[in-house]
Amino acid sequence: MKIRLYLAILAGKMAIFFSRLAGNQGTNFPGRLARRIYPPILTELAGNILRETVIITGTNGKTTTSNMMAEIIKENNFSYVHNRAGANMITGITTAFIQATNLSGKREFDYGLLEVDEANVPLLLQEIPVKALLITNFFRDQLDRFGELDNTINIIKEAVQDTDIELILNADDPLVSHFQNQTGLNCWYFGFDDTVYDDIASAESREGRHCVFCGHELVYERFHYAQLGKYSCPQCQNQNPARDFSAHGLNLSPAISFQVNNLPIQSPYQGFYNAYNILAAVSLAKRMGFPDETIQTAISSYHPQAGRMEKFIINGKTVLLILVKNPTGLNQSLVALTQETANKNVFMALNDNAADGRDISWIWDADLEILANRQEDINYLICSGLRSGDIAVRAKYAGFDPARIVIKTRLQEGIARAVEGSNDTAYILSTYTALFTCRQILLKMQTKAKRQSNQSQYQRQSG
Amino acid sequence: MESLVIAYMYPNLMNLYGDRGNMVCLEKRIGWYGHQCEVRTVNHNDRLDFQRIDMLFMGGGSDREQGLVYNDLLVKADKLMQEIEDGLPALFVCGAYQLLGTSYQSHEGTVLNGLGFFDLHTLGQKERLIGNILLESELEGELKTVVGFENHGGRTYFDDEQLKPFGTVVKGYGNNGEDGREGIRYKNLIGTYLHGPLLPKNPHVADFLIKAMAQRRGITLSEPLDDTIENFAHQQVKNRILAGK
Repeated sequence: MKIRLYLAILAGKMAIFFSRLAGNQGTNFPGRLARRIYPPILTELAGNILRETVIITGTNGKTTTSNMMAEIIKENNFSYVHNRAGANMITGITTAFIQATNLSGKREFDYGLLEVDEANVPLLLQEIPVKALLITNFFRDQLDRFGELDNTINIIKEAVQDTDIELILNADDPLVSHFQNQTGLNCWYFGFDDTVYDDIASAESREGRHCVFCGHELVYERFHYAQLGKYSCPQCQNQNPARDFSAHGLNLSPAISFQVNNLPIQSPYQGFYNAYNILAAVSLAKRMGFPDETIQTAISSYHPQAGRMEKFIINGKTVLLILVKNPTGLNQSLVALTQETANKNVFMALNDNAADGRDISWIWDADLEILANRQEDINYLICSGLRSGDIAVRAKYAGFDPARIVIKTRLQEGIARAVEGSNDTAYILSTYTALFTCRQILLKMQTKAKRQSNQSQYQRQSG
Repeated sequence: MESLVIAYMYPNLMNLYGDRGNMVCLEKRIGWYGHQCEVRTVNHNDRLDFQRIDMLFMGGGSDREQGLVYNDLLVKADKLMQEIEDGLPALFVCGAYQLLGTSYQSHEGTVLNGLGFFDLHTLGQKERLIGNILLESELEGELKTVVGFENHGGRTYFDDEQLKPFGTVVKGYGNNGEDGREGIRYKNLIGTYLHGPLLPKNPHVADFLIKAMAQRRGITLSEPLDDTIENFAHQQVKNRILAGK
């Protein structure tokens, strides 16, 4: 009898139930509680994975990539354990396993599909046997939790050393090439061939500009997106590894389509960064042996999720909610929203809680100038969240007219301000810990607006 | 309208945590004060023409990058120290600040020489000092608060008690988390661990550097700027730090 295991599961399940009841997401606490009662709980429950467990890490695209993988597994009628977005620390992953299992801790699953925070990868590998590790990319993100990016990469490198874990890596990311030349590891590379969207010289922040082997500045033939591209080191001949999963014929508009080797892929998503997420998911799925048709179907039917350009209609206005968390993602969002010429209000909530990253200096590595250059289409920029002042200062120094910068620290007031007025659309940008509140506010406003328009229609008809 | 020139040292190597925002801030404020500002980037092996430079800025980098710039900077060191003695305004952040001392010992034990401008040294430790920081600093005869974010493994110690810190720590770690000192101030040079970036939310520090530049050049600045937004952001962080968040 494993009394402590049952107790831990029961306590964990109750904690999930009660924190949901209290309106919380309930992601880390139940896992932490259960681990305190029975420390090996995660290892034990992971023993119920019949086939294999794969993990997805990296700076950007973890959530989208793993959600697409989940679709592919589902399409193949297999069962799986999958942690939700944001619950990617070891405690959140434990919570996901507790939620999936039954009270005796015996329910079996075909696959484990885990999105894992970079710094938590070593911990997880100690507790769970992993078949494959997919690394999306390494960008500047929440640096304050780790010190520098080099540290993050090194701890993952050390953790996979002397294991038989298969690595699925981004051939276009010079920081990922750290993993090259590591003996004993089976590496598979995905990447893009030349595309029509490539840039020969771009001003965005580039974390991996220097060769990881000799320190010399890298020479880029072309950039696909941020520091991802075709590079080489003039000093030590370090260059992109050969691609096992090579994407070509990329089309981003009106939606994403390209070919992976000979497999045509289509998706309703937008943006180059999502093309990378799709390519990553397809590559992993191919390595896991899923049939081509199921991969195609799953990707083409998978639609954008909460915070990844979610759309609301409020009083006839289109309101889009976008999660932003690092310079690259913010730049992409700003490019997308300024391409739309309709006049608009832009709202941005900047928080500095632990899950957002305590250091908000990343907004200075982002190009708010993109917004300032198109300010004729923008009525007001509304700055909100715990660090509303910082986003306002950043916008002012990007050249945005201070007279049209509005500071509303409280989310409710800020969103109300963004949605009212003569603008046709509103963009609600938010960092992680403000996202759920922003979404709740928008949902409430949408419902209320719908009810009011129904009522007025009714009054017109009866009057 | 005059043109002020700021030398931005090794922007490709030494730019951590938004440090380039300091350049954006100075450039914009000088423009608002009615003059032009030219930011001239200085990379490896580039010549530094001090005749035509009004200020020098260098940001932070990782250990690897710090090693790369040291050798290049050593060639320029004598001339640079002479300029600083003569009152050249300069801002050195984090890794660049550490380079001003005699030595830097990494947490693995490797010892790197510093430029030796000041009698201070830095010991690296694995555990980093990270978080929002609040200082009190006296720049132009008036004690004012300075806010920022620090993230450093190095602990910096003064070996000469005559050295003057940039400020005293109200909340946070500062040079070493022990003696309450933060950074160094010498004539018109500021060395500091503060990222954030430092200048945009501390407009009085930016103005201290700009006024020093203007005075050396004998040019006048227009009326004081409207810093409502900057001061709001400063106060917001200050409140957050004092509330222990």
